[in-house]
Formats: sequence, structure tokens, C-alpha cells
Amino acid sequence: MRLLHTKLPEFKRKMYAAAENGGNMPKPLILEGLENLKTAKMQSLRTGRIEVAIEELAKIDDVKEIQLLIRPRVPETEHTAIIKAIDKDGKTEKIILETLTILHGPEDLETFDCDNIDDRRAPIGRQG
Amino acid sequence: MGKLRYKLIREGITEGQIMPLNLVFVDFNDVIEAGLNCRNAAEIIGAQFSDPTAINIIDLDAVTTTSDGLMTEGAIVAMAASDHEKINPEFGYLEMMEVPYSKKRIEEEPHLKQWDIVYPGKRLIMGPKKKNLPIHCAAMTGRACNNNSGTEVWSIATMEELLMPILGQIEIVKGGDVMIGKTGEVISVGIGMVVGEEFARIIPGRAFHCGQTAHKSGDKAKNLKSHIPIIAAGKKTLAKYVIQALKAGMVPGRHIGPSPAVLSVAKLMNSPIDMDNIEQSAFDELASVGFTKEWIMEKVEKVSEEFILENADNIIPGGDGCKTLSSDDISEERFAVY
Repeated sequence: MRLLHTKLPEFKRKMYAAAENGGNMPKPLILEGLENLKTAKMQSLRTGRIEVAIEELAKIDDVKEIQLLIRPRVPETEHTAIIKAIDKDGKTEKIILETLTILHGPEDLETFDCDNIDDRRAPIGRQG
Repeated sequence: MGKLRYKLIREGITEGQIMPLNLVFVDFNDVIEAGLNCRNAAEIIGAQFSDPTAINIIDLDAVTTTSDGLMTEGAIVAMAASDHEKINPEFGYLEMMEVPYSKKRIEEEPHLKQWDIVYPGKRLIMGPKKKNLPIHCAAMTGRACNNNSGTEVWSIATMEELLMPILGQIEIVKGGDVMIGKTGEVISVGIGMVVGEEFARIIPGRAFHCGQTAHKSGDKAKNLKSHIPIIAAGKKTLAKYVIQALKAGMVPGRHIGPSPAVLSVAKLMNSPIDMDNIEQSAFDELASVGFTKEWIMEKVEKVSEEFILENADNIIPGGDGCKTLSSDDISEERFAVY
């Protein structure tokens, strides 16, 4: 399925480009955490800021690799489970909707190994 | 320089059961005597451990309620999760709500009649005041998750989990007896027999009412938690609180949840049980672990409270391969110097 205005591929291209072109030497980018997204519209304001952040780190001479790890801002996400019964003709006979909340590891699972953290995040639930 | 006392059960294996995190229990009075607030205390203790740690601060002078509505003496007033000596500033610490006394609330949440009858004037502490997670009442830092208002912990690294019902934690702070083993099917079902509470420690917002099951999963309910290790109070302690609630006029199915433990004591005391208010989905889950309508309604000779207390290990069902022992045998007293 592909929705109108899908920008996920463009987001990924921009991130790889920032690591490639941000510093004096191209740096490989490891992008993790978006594997399950088939399609999505990414927040454009933060897309630009993340590009800038990747370029900033790519400019550091002794950096050999950039990692971009996308994690839930709030480590619990609410989901809808859509349970569908499909008959032999492919027609949906019945649907049951349920909720499912998922707890994830908070961001500090990835940050304990470094004290040099520049936290540029917006407060939970806010822009800016 | 100050020092703060706490009790510790170490991450690893205890009595054959996996402790997924370090478990820390702090007496609120020790926090006050040290001149600290609860957040300071949690940070000081968290700074002692590089391993993932759950920290609960317990006020033995306050009261709270179990998921099935028994009112208990002793309540968690703050909870935290720490890892690598730190507490996540947004998700790692929660303070619990002191519920303001009101006659209206007691009418709307009738198991709180125990407050007036058994514990008049005591502070009633329930779930978190304010939290950043949308659903779970959990504190999270790194590999540590302290969930369900401090009664369930798990490791985000190993995904191993441990249940710690409130009565067992109170016994650990007091140095009383605890039961340790696997949760088993009966407790797995019993956990679902909740009461409705606006500020509940696990399911706030009066999402359910007494007589309903929160699980609503039929014969699957018994397997939801059965395989998970548990540290609970000794059964004599649980029996004491069930007897106390029944003597305060609480009717299983109407005021307090019809968990197997509650029903077992109520049946032997010949106490009324509101069969009409218990929904079929709750009966189905109870029947899946042997507590059928026929078993509940079966007439038995009334026994004394003393008999129930003396024979609590045989009367109160629940637990799989559990042993009862002094909490001092599985915990160590330590001091955080700051």
C-alpha cells in the first residue's frame, strides 16, 4: 500500500546524503528503527534538523560512522489490533478491533555509553 | 554525610526464581528521618547500582487497596527505575496520589468503606499523581521497568518479569514472611477480579466495576501470568486481610473482587457472595481454574477466623511450587551513603 504524500523514502535519502556529504569524507550511515514502516509522512521541521545534526557529526574528523536510531519518544505506544476474518472469496466477513499498548526501551538504552549528549528534543507532545 | 537504609533483593536467581532486576524496598519513615524527599532518596539509591534496579518507597502508616479491593496497611508512595546509576528524568520516577477523603467517593467506590471502618484517618495512597506514559503506571530507565505502580518489574534487556503484589512488599519492609515461586493459574485469574477505582494503582479511571474481569479472555486468563515468578505475602497475611474486609461488611462480587482467595475465605466464613453481580465472563475464568458456580455455592460448615489463619496455607489457593520463608532470608539490609 502506498499513500499519497509518502515522504519516507525521501527522508531516508536525505539522511544518507547528509552523512555522505556533510564532512570532508563520506561517512557510512546506519539507520535503524524504521524497518516496520511501509509508508509514512515524516515531520519536515525535524527532518531538516536531523539532517543538520548528521552533517554536524559527519564533520568531526575522527568519526568513522554515523548511527541514526529512531525510537519512540514516549516508550509506550498505543496501537489498534484489527482482527479480520476473510472468506474463501477474499471477502471480509467480520472484523474485531482491539487495543494493544506496547512498551519499548527508553532512549537511555542507547545513550549510557556517552556523557557528551546534546539534547535538542522538544518536550513530550510539543513542537519547537 | 548521611546514610539511608534500604532492603535489597539482588538481580539473579533467588530460591530458584529469576529476579530480573535489583529490587529495592525503602521505608518512607527512613526517608523522612534522613531529611530527604522521595525523589532524592530514589536518586541516592539508584546511584549505588550500575545494574538495572527497581526502587519502591513504602509508607507503613498509609493504606492502599489490592486489585481485588482489600484495604491494606502499607502503601507505595513513590517508585523508580534506575540503570547505570541514573534515573530517566522523564520516565524513571513516579509519585503516588494521596486520595482526598470524601463520602461521595466511598459511595461510588464502595470497597472504600473499609477506610472508614478499619482505617479511619489514615492516608490512602493509590496510583501515580502524574505520568508521561499514556496507559501503564510504569517507571522506566534503560534496562529497568517498574510497572503497575510498583507491583510488577521486568528487564527490558532480557524481558524476564516478576510479580510483586503489594502485601509481599510490605512484609519485606517489616521483615515478615513472603511466598516465592511461580504465579500459577489461580493467581493469574485472581489478578483480573478487580474493583473500579478512579485513581487505581493498575487500571485507573474506573475502567471496570466489581464483578467484572479485567482480563475478559476466557480460559486464556489462567495462562497470562502463570509462568512468571512471584514474591507475595505469606498466605496467613493475605487471609488476615480477607477476613478483615469480610468482617467490615464487604461482599465478594459487590464490594470486593471475587478472586479465588477471597471466595475461599468467604465460603468458609459463610459470608454472603453477590452471585448476581458477577458477570458470566468472570465466572468463566474462575471455572477455568476450578472455582465453578457449584463450588462457590456449596454449603460448608462455618469455621473460625483462627482456624482460617492457622490453616491459611491450605485454604488460600494460588502459587505454583511456592515456598514461604522469612523475607530476611532473601533480602539484605543495606545503607546508601551520600
